[in-house]
Amino acid sequence: MSQSMLAIVSLAFTLSCYFLIKQLYLKKRVWWLAPILMVPVIIVLFVISLNIPLPAYFEYTHWLMALLAPATIAFSVPIYRERKLIFSYPLTIGFGVVTGLLLGLLSSWGLTQIFSLPPELSHSTLVRSVSTPFAMEATSAFGGVPELTAMLVLLTGIIGMLVSEPLFKLAKINSPLAIGAALGAAAHGAGAAKASEFGKEEGVVASLTMIFTGIAMVLGAPFFSIFLV
Amino acid sequence: MTAERIKKCYGSLQLLIQIGLFCLLAWGMDLLSVYLELPIPGSVLGLAILLLLMGLKLVPEKSVKLGAGWLTGELLLFFIPPVISIIKYESLFEQYSLPLILTLVIGSVCVLLGTGFVVDRVFRFETKMNTRRLNAAKAIGEV
Repeated sequence: MSQSMLAIVSLAFTLSCYFLIKQLYLKKRVWWLAPILMVPVIIVLFVISLNIPLPAYFEYTHWLMALLAPATIAFSVPIYRERKLIFSYPLTIGFGVVTGLLLGLLSSWGLTQIFSLPPELSHSTLVRSVSTPFAMEATSAFGGVPELTAMLVLLTGIIGMLVSEPLFKLAKINSPLAIGAALGAAAHGAGAAKASEFGKEEGVVASLTMIFTGIAMVLGAPFFSIFLV
Repeated sequence: MTAERIKKCYGSLQLLIQIGLFCLLAWGMDLLSVYLELPIPGSVLGLAILLLLMGLKLVPEKSVKLGAGWLTGELLLFFIPPVISIIKYESLFEQYSLPLILTLVIGSVCVLLGTGFVVDRVFRFETKMNTRRLNAAKAIGEV
């Protein structure tokens, strides 16, 4: 197959795999079918087994990434819609965002130092707990690699989704705002999806915390990088 | 064509137009951010400006709701391509897989517990304050 043919096949496969797995997950609701886990696994296997060169894979699919910036702008709509909640609990939401952001940064920094991970990994890990469009924007300030960052953000989302429920039970964290803020700050979009399984309020708070943490990360990155890199 | 199909077509068209507008805004804001040499990336600038426009009632929420819902709902699709380039870094991930997973798991546990704990306490405090304020307002009303 020629390169351009492979590029078209790659795009078609990526789109159909994504929408099929999403449909399937909505029907079956088993954790291992979660699109965040299953879609990358299937596509990586597809690329490896067909021996598709990465430049061919990216030729058209990289246009999907162009939608990350419009998606960032779209986050203004949930903020506007939930303005009442934000005005009723400014302290709670603010503390959640600041605590989540600092803990995310410091835990990543400390742990990568302890395990002495190489710089490309440790720098890319710093922004791992914020939503991808924000993480991809902020990572360059820390000297991170965008592709590695995307992968680490994804893994963080999966881990947060899986460990949160037993952890909340163990630590007796059960107020909706605490569950929502913790999941939004620790596991971005995957966390927000998990939070809405707990309840509507949890989901809304998780989304808001995720968005504000992301914005704060992007705005603060040049400043934080002075201390952490 | 039945009325229902016309409605569906109209909905898809509306969605496409709204996504297009978000893309246009993202592109324009990016140019602006580069041109003015702002430390804020165009996407975050666009977020702030659209929020302001909605707050001032210059842009009604319902005219951007559909596109915004789709863009934020399908976010995973947009970052699949960079994730696939993990293939390029296979040896790096293989070599450091254990410390990396430990970093991510322990780090996530820290953020989940720490944020949950702090928000739980602040929420109780703020609820108390809100109730007190509400009661005070009621008391003034009664006098």
